Amino acid sequence: MGAAAAVRVLVVDDSPVDRRVVERLLRTHCGGGGGAGGGEGAAPFHVTAVDSGKKAIELLALRLEGRRRKQLSPSAASDADEQAIDIVLTDYCMPEMTGYDLLKAIKALGSPNPIPVVVMSSENEPQRISRCLTAGAEDFILKPLKTNDVQRIRKCSGDRRCNNVSSSSSRTKTKTKLSPSDHTAKKVATPEQKTSHLAGLLAMVMNASSLEVSVSHYFQFVFKFILIAYAVLCLSQLLHRWSNGSFLSLWSA
Amino acid sequence: MAGAALRDQLSALLSSMFSQGLVDEQFEQLQMLQDEGGTPGFVAEVVTLFCDDAERIIAEIATLLEQPIVSFDKVDAFVHQLKGSSASVGAQKVKFTCMQFRQFCQEKSRDGCLMALAVVRNEFYDLRNKFQTMLQLEQQIQAYDHKQQ
Repeated sequence: MGAAAAVRVLVVDDSPVDRRVVERLLRTHCGGGGGAGGGEGAAPFHVTAVDSGKKAIELLALRLEGRRRKQLSPSAASDADEQAIDIVLTDYCMPEMTGYDLLKAIKALGSPNPIPVVVMSSENEPQRISRCLTAGAEDFILKPLKTNDVQRIRKCSGDRRCNNVSSSSSRTKTKTKLSPSDHTAKKVATPEQKTSHLAGLLAMVMNASSLEVSVSHYFQFVFKFILIAYAVLCLSQLLHRWSNGSFLSLWSA
Repeated sequence: MAGAALRDQLSALLSSMFSQGLVDEQFEQLQMLQDEGGTPGFVAEVVTLFCDDAERIIAEIATLLEQPIVSFDKVDAFVHQLKGSSASVGAQKVKFTCMQFRQFCQEKSRDGCLMALAVVRNEFYDLRNKFQTMLQLEQQIQAYDHKQQ
């Protein structure tokens, strides 16, 4: 996989003009370069647009269902249209289901890992903005959208993907961190730091799977053994030289 | 020669639209998006979408204002929609007249709303004529360039 994977955006707006303009804005400004080549370096946007909150929820539920089916049977052919949405960009003022209602529905739909939602509105109302942010919106953007708003949207979707990536890499990190941090826990002066380190260690150990725990314990023992053996050797060397002659001989080879 | 004359006409039309305040920098943004994205016809598409949408909204508002009892909330919702669309396209004058229209909706004045609707309609028709001329000129220029190649 050379190029960055596309960021899949779901645009929800009852106005056809706004849908078209936002779609073109996202497709053109792929972060930094733009141009007809599309997505050189920065991940391109893959835009799906619907005209109501109801259709948005239906589409999201469908995509989630598709992903679950794919997880159960990975060999099944993956349709590009069935891939999950990375971020939802919704208008606030819509008939029947407002952007705020849609925001709450999406958060309820996707717990524990809900899809990030960015709300747009033509009205600059502080109460509306704080309401949306409190309900869990990643950001609130004023219409009409500008070029630098695309960066904000990219960042909001980027956080989610970083979370997915870091959760898998943090496991490998805990394995290597376990041994040196164990020693640093011993050497640290204050007892509070020691207990917090040990607590952190315990948490890391508990989070890891059973196989990883046994492997990391093994590494711990090996590491300790090697260090102790080395310390013993050094001490014996020192004692030997001390008993043989004066201090000066300690420095000679 | 004819190609240059057409281009001059088009740029004169566009600069007059800007100087008269018919369109603002949002319209300029759309033109830039078309050029940067390499998608000719984007502006034409958006302008057409806007004109159809505005036509529909104005007709709906007119129907609502003809009712014996006017639902000012519904009228306000439609005016809000039109204001949003015109802001997205960069139709500045139409947007401003929509903002004034909303005042009358809040005052719940039928006469005020009817007057505001007439103003919005006039501004919209004026802008639509200019857009249609602009699209015609663009098509002629494209056809001329195509013939030259």
